[in-house]
Amino acid sequence: MTHRWFVPLAVSALTLFLVAMLSVIPARADGTAPKADSPSAAMPTPISDQQYLTGTFALDRHLDGFDAPLTSTGDFTLSPRKGLIWQNLKPFPDTTVMNDQGISRKHDDGTFETIVSGARFHQFIALISAVLAGNWEPLSDQFTITPTKTATTPNWQVTLAPKNNNGLSEQVSQIVVKGDEFVTHVTLHKPSGDRDEITLSNQTRHDLPLPDDLANLLSGNPD
Amino acid sequence: MAVRGGIWGIFLLIMATFAIWQVTSGNARIDGDVLSLIGLEKTDDTARKPDIETVRDLLENDANQAIIMVSANQQDMLETATRALASDIANIPGTKSVSMPGYDAGNLARLSDFYLPHAQSLLSDGDRALLRDGNGEPVYQNAVKTLYAPASMLSAASLRADPFSLLPGFLAELGDKLGSSGIVQRDNHFHTPIIISLTPDLRRQGRDIAWVGKVNDAIANAQSTADQPDGFTIAKTGQVFFAVAEATAAKSDVQRIAIIATLGIFAMVLSVFFSPLPLIGTLITVGSGLIAGIAAVTLIFDGIHAIALVFGASLIGISVDYALHYLVLPADEKSPTARIATIRSGLSLGLLTSVCGFAVLAISPAILLAQIAVYSIAGLIAAYVTVLFVLPLLPARSVKHRSLIPRAYQKLDDTLRRLQLPRLVRGVGALAILGGFTVCVLFIPTDDDIRHLGHGNAPLTTQARLIGDTMGMGGNPVFIRIDGADSQTRLQTGEAVQNALRPLIKDGTVGSAFGLSDMIPSIKRQDENRTLIKDHLYEAYAPKLAPLLPINIQTPNPDAPYLQADEDAFAKFPELANLRDGTTDIVRLNAVTDANAVAMAIGDIDAARLINPRATITDQFAHYRNGATMGLAIALLIAGILAIARYGLIRGLCVLGTPAGAMLIALGGAAAIGITINFFTIMALFLVFAIGADYVIFFSESQKHGQQDATRFAVFLSLISSILAFGLLASSSVPVVSAIGTIMAIGLPTAWVLSYAMCPTSVKADQSDV
Repeated sequence: MTHRWFVPLAVSALTLFLVAMLSVIPARADGTAPKADSPSAAMPTPISDQQYLTGTFALDRHLDGFDAPLTSTGDFTLSPRKGLIWQNLKPFPDTTVMNDQGISRKHDDGTFETIVSGARFHQFIALISAVLAGNWEPLSDQFTITPTKTATTPNWQVTLAPKNNNGLSEQVSQIVVKGDEFVTHVTLHKPSGDRDEITLSNQTRHDLPLPDDLANLLSGNPD
Repeated sequence: MAVRGGIWGIFLLIMATFAIWQVTSGNARIDGDVLSLIGLEKTDDTARKPDIETVRDLLENDANQAIIMVSANQQDMLETATRALASDIANIPGTKSVSMPGYDAGNLARLSDFYLPHAQSLLSDGDRALLRDGNGEPVYQNAVKTLYAPASMLSAASLRADPFSLLPGFLAELGDKLGSSGIVQRDNHFHTPIIISLTPDLRRQGRDIAWVGKVNDAIANAQSTADQPDGFTIAKTGQVFFAVAEATAAKSDVQRIAIIATLGIFAMVLSVFFSPLPLIGTLITVGSGLIAGIAAVTLIFDGIHAIALVFGASLIGISVDYALHYLVLPADEKSPTARIATIRSGLSLGLLTSVCGFAVLAISPAILLAQIAVYSIAGLIAAYVTVLFVLPLLPARSVKHRSLIPRAYQKLDDTLRRLQLPRLVRGVGALAILGGFTVCVLFIPTDDDIRHLGHGNAPLTTQARLIGDTMGMGGNPVFIRIDGADSQTRLQTGEAVQNALRPLIKDGTVGSAFGLSDMIPSIKRQDENRTLIKDHLYEAYAPKLAPLLPINIQTPNPDAPYLQADEDAFAKFPELANLRDGTTDIVRLNAVTDANAVAMAIGDIDAARLINPRATITDQFAHYRNGATMGLAIALLIAGILAIARYGLIRGLCVLGTPAGAMLIALGGAAAIGITINFFTIMALFLVFAIGADYVIFFSESQKHGQQDATRFAVFLSLISSILAFGLLASSSVPVVSAIGTIMAIGLPTAWVLSYAMCPTSVKADQSDV
């Protein structure tokens, strides 16, 4: 069960999840889904339910008033059907799993600690699935979406401003997403003045099934 | 006579205007909720609050909340339907606020702001156990990982105040203790609650019925517009739903019975007199009693309870006696003044006896009993004055002895008058009755369980149970009360209670427990936390953490202010008011499956006690019953003294034995058909006593003024009207109303028959007794 006080934690995490998912969205600067026969059809087609995405990330956490960011790097795996695995490699190894049961952290002994759980996470997965289908409509319930033209094609940028009626605005003031074929850079601005900058790279699409180790992580089974 | 009648008429009009104004303006509300009367007893202010008062405060708080649980097979549909329904309910007048724990963002920011300055005084149970064991490594590791975790509440401010990220663990545990859930999944079925806060004046202004109606409409609308109706269900619970259902059922019954009774009494009077004038006289008498009763109660109390109203309506049974007693007097050449003079002593003694009986209740500390007493005394006096001052102004009409009712009566009367018992036998019989009644009251089984009083509503009960089982919400709000001289002592006791309950929470006996000490740890606990954090975390791990952080880690300040359960905390979190009631702290329990296990677990903690509101209220009704029984005994004693003073020892005992015998037979008869004794049946006995005493007093007095035939006939008509007014209550679907009706239906005819037996009307008997 999810306690209401911790919904913002989930919202925060799943905002990240959402943004990560955007990395596989073929989108144009005008914020509309590309048509198969349009010029932007050169961009990859949406990831299907039968695929998953892998890549690396660098997270720079800028805290207001501090000169140096907290920087971490690692790998991520994204499955539209199963969820997201966020594996910190540096400076400390740590694995966080987000799926429709919630957010959990894998301990060194292979056990999982549930950070926040609840059936409500299903809706976020459903949201992402809709987005993956090239449908921006579900996002528009949560965010005001403003596409921004970029100097170079096929680069694009979208600004997401959370609407005030869903609690997101307490956690995130603005999200700026940039990309070309995939999302390459995400900045989460927080009301406190802090911000997270996430750089995604080396993204590769794969066909299911997931390797056993990743499948076990997403299903919450210890190795 | 006309002047006095006119003045009294004006006075009645003033009282009627006042009563109508009080009720319609909302100054005096008519309350149908049984719980609203409990716990209002006058108590010593300096003494500790009694359980019932704490229960009442708690229930009053809970009464402003309703819960609706929406269930569906698909989450998308669940969310859509829940949001739409919540929106509809939010727009209903009387809804203060609506929240959806499954979809709302919550109030983390508010909590973080509140707790962050005290982060180094707060520990989750898990972290505290680790540090107490000297094992700070996992806590340190968690702090490091949190720095880089994608799902993290980390901020510059939190890092400065809480570099070891202790606060998230404390908050997470707080959430578990509160036990409120968002979305629950069971067997591929999803459930989510809508929590509704009602405006406090909803019930007071009598708008709760309309509110429930509109909520039911909104639910019906949601169900009818559901995309996939299979598996889509909506359940609701809350005091407001039960109270409205109960009031609706009772109202329906009472309306039906009132219509039949009124028509029956109309038909009876018309068929006896063949004239509407006696009917008008009867209505004026009964009406004046009702008006005066309501006016008196609304003048003295803030409102009038439906139970008091129903018992007050019992005046019909008594005041009709007074009216008929006058109306059946022969319309001969005597003046109205002379006619009234013949019955004045009987009426006066009857009034005095009844007033004495109800006056005993008036001194009861229970508001309910006091309301009934005030209503009845004022109403009876008004009816009495109306009979004396107003009825003589109406033209007299004679009884048509050839009509059906007089002829039927004559046959019964002829039969009963043959009951000629020797004086000694009557005296011994009266003593036996009084003894038997005492034994019966003392030993007959009682049942004060409030669950057996109401009509009950199976669908609502089922829904409440479903919501309780699924979400751990609603239901009987079992809690632990903690008493102590000062706040810190109570907080420490609260922490001891949580420790004692931990095994029960772990094995599922208790779903969750939440008290003030969970929100505001005691200073002793905060000191312990500070020491643990300093000794086992900062000293060992701050040097390791420091290189990772862009800040200087400061050793916790031992003199930092403590988190306090002060006005500031209560202002920031108004919901804390639910956890404190004067000098009592409350630990609220959810989903308790074994109350005895809870009581045993906290058995060693002197200042903590498990309180089950249902049991407490049941005890309170037992207390009411004992008070009413005592009142009845005193009333009998007073009536006995009056009767003996008036009629002598043996005949006085016989007079007293009549209502006592009626009560005895009513008790026995009711017990034989499975009706157990509770406060309400004792109150019904009160009515049997008051009306039965009237019967026998009128019988006795008639032997003095020589209008025995007319008096006996008046009593017979009164019996019919009382049976119509009360006996029909036995057919009610509401158990408590049915029990009252049954007692009356048995008791009143018995009183009538015993009046013949105990007060023989033959000339011979009269001569020997008078």
